[in-house]
Amino acid sequence: MKIAQEAVDRIKEGNGNKINFIWIEANGCAGDIISFLNADEPDALYFLKEMVNLKYSPSLMQAEGERAYEEFLETLNTDFILGVEGSLTNVENGFYDIFAYYKGKTISVAEAVAKAAEKAKHIIAIGTCASFAGISAARPNPTGCTSLSGFLGREVINVPGCPANPLWVMGTVASLVLYNKVEVDDKGRPLMFFKDTNHVNCERRSYFDNKINAQKLGDKECMFKLGCRGPVTKAYCPIGRWNSRINWPVGDNTPCIGCANEYFPDGSEPFVRY
Amino acid sequence: MTIKITLDPITRISGPLSIEVEIEKNKIVNAKSSGVQYRGFEKMLTGRSPLDAVYFTERICGICSVAHGVSASLALEDALKVKPDANGIKVRNFAHAADFLQNIIRQICLYVFPDYVKISALPGSIGGDFRLPEKYTEKINEDYIKAIEYSRLAHEMVALIGGKVPHSHGIFVGGTTVSLDPFKIIRLKSILQSINDFIANNMVEDINIIAEYYTEYYKIGGGTGNLLTYGLFDEMGEGELHYVNPSVYIKGKAYKLNAKAITEGTAYSWYSGNKISRVPSMEPTETDIKKEGAYTFIKAARYEGKVMQVGPLARMILSGSYKNRISTMDRLMARVLEGKKLSEKMLKLLEIIEPIPAVQERYTIPESSVGMGLKDSVRGALGHWLAIEKGVIKNYDIVTPSVWNLSPVDERGQHGAMEEALIGTEIKDVSHPIEIGRIIRSFDPCLSCATHVITDCREPYYIDLI
Repeated sequence: MKIAQEAVDRIKEGNGNKINFIWIEANGCAGDIISFLNADEPDALYFLKEMVNLKYSPSLMQAEGERAYEEFLETLNTDFILGVEGSLTNVENGFYDIFAYYKGKTISVAEAVAKAAEKAKHIIAIGTCASFAGISAARPNPTGCTSLSGFLGREVINVPGCPANPLWVMGTVASLVLYNKVEVDDKGRPLMFFKDTNHVNCERRSYFDNKINAQKLGDKECMFKLGCRGPVTKAYCPIGRWNSRINWPVGDNTPCIGCANEYFPDGSEPFVRY
Repeated sequence: MTIKITLDPITRISGPLSIEVEIEKNKIVNAKSSGVQYRGFEKMLTGRSPLDAVYFTERICGICSVAHGVSASLALEDALKVKPDANGIKVRNFAHAADFLQNIIRQICLYVFPDYVKISALPGSIGGDFRLPEKYTEKINEDYIKAIEYSRLAHEMVALIGGKVPHSHGIFVGGTTVSLDPFKIIRLKSILQSINDFIANNMVEDINIIAEYYTEYYKIGGGTGNLLTYGLFDEMGEGELHYVNPSVYIKGKAYKLNAKAITEGTAYSWYSGNKISRVPSMEPTETDIKKEGAYTFIKAARYEGKVMQVGPLARMILSGSYKNRISTMDRLMARVLEGKKLSEKMLKLLEIIEPIPAVQERYTIPESSVGMGLKDSVRGALGHWLAIEKGVIKNYDIVTPSVWNLSPVDERGQHGAMEEALIGTEIKDVSHPIEIGRIIRSFDPCLSCATHVITDCREPYYIDLI
């Protein structure tokens, strides 16, 4: 009887088949949520209406202050997917990145993430900072940033990219929502997007094969000699492209800078060399 | 009796901000704006290849990345003595303005609308002060949904020029890397026309509806009348493309900007020492999170020692496009009207952009040099200063709009612009202090950009921007 009543309540709320979603913005630029808003077919609206109940997102939610934090706490007692963008800083008790102030107590992002991770059904690191610590941990790593999996000491799903391409995030969440799992490689990256390097599918591959090289940015030939990281970067850029699939850095006559790589940015530099 | 309220998180802004106010007899008597995130970008940039500054600094900010690309490119062109290609400048300005439109649509519709209208697509509620009749509530809910589409389209324009966005590649030293052709031009034009329609027909009406039902916000949250801009479309000649020159407005008079009058102080910031540094300062030092009295990672930017307000309202007033009136609602109104103005200018700009291949060079990095790049981003004045030594970045100094608007108290006891705007505000219901969030969001805070390390003042160099 109680279960039936709960089911009725859930249908009334329109939440019947959808899992809750918490999107935390850790130490980073809040660019992964902006990138996600650029999603198309399906777009962010479809994501909100049909795929999940977005219960917590600092960029989008109506509530603020203590009420916002309470919504976060309430969601922890439900079935939810945890998405985290940005890397984790936990030095000085997390002082470099604060999540909320609640009943006289300051809660760090690190503390909130740890709390949510304990209960989440699935955990997704969204973007290179969350996946591999990224540019927030660039030399000399002023705030001691680590990846989400490094911070939690457990495996998570990693969707790197600076920012994460909305197509890759949407596809990953879709796999979880539709099939309750996603196939990943040894670095936790969904295989559907991180199987091949950008070089494998690059539209300028014939220039590379014929050793015809660009001399500078703006040229139409192969960018390898200018520092292109396509050959060592597994991602989906040449196929799925960016921003409603209309372009990507190589299409813009610039090299791939390997922003989805584990060692980005320090291992990618210089981004441009002549 | 004094009541202290801390609001954290302030949602629907970019990055983490905490606000503490003291209230006596329903009036805010003190306010502290506290940037509660620190990343240390300037420290990271030391020792890197100068050209990498463009793509590196874009990653400071997820919502205004193009602006950092523009300021970094300008600073590098200054340091490398590169004269950017004339068509390239136009293309870069077009992309810069396209990112303004993305920002303005998202900020007004996705971040500000929920302050005044119950948005059914969103979870949670901030309380019951929703005054609009049902038909307007429905209209604004529809436009909230449309804003998701039009802001995405604005970013499509940036991506056509920049390869991708956030964190574009095509805004670069020398102008741009994109090779334009007639198809790309007409594609940009068709997208821009639809955005222009949305802003001019939908958003202008929406903000007027909100203003009509929340008239007291024309009297709330003003703050300093001193205004500052680094200019926008100021290199586009004096004709119809021109927008606003680098300028300031102090105590009723307008002046040309003097870049050497900019300082940063740290009296109440979590950085060691409490010196006033001229900008740029030359040597990074350290954070000090145990510092007595400090309450933020944001420094106190000042101009001739004065608190300045930056952003769309400052630009609109300084360009003579908006009456000189400063309040919460005026900031929102000016932002929407600026979006309309810019999208109209972009349509004209597109007519003179040539569909030609990118003009790029193999740039040579000097053994040592300095450069400055000042340009307004959507939130206001954004400055990049770099020094090159032994062919790598020796020092990089960034002063963002949020460092102007959200700054803390300075060594003279002057509150930052947003703090000042909060102080004196009547709070109707102390248990639901909705006025605070509304005032804060009118400044469009970007905490992602508050990423500084303090630098000691040593042999500053001066550049006059006239």
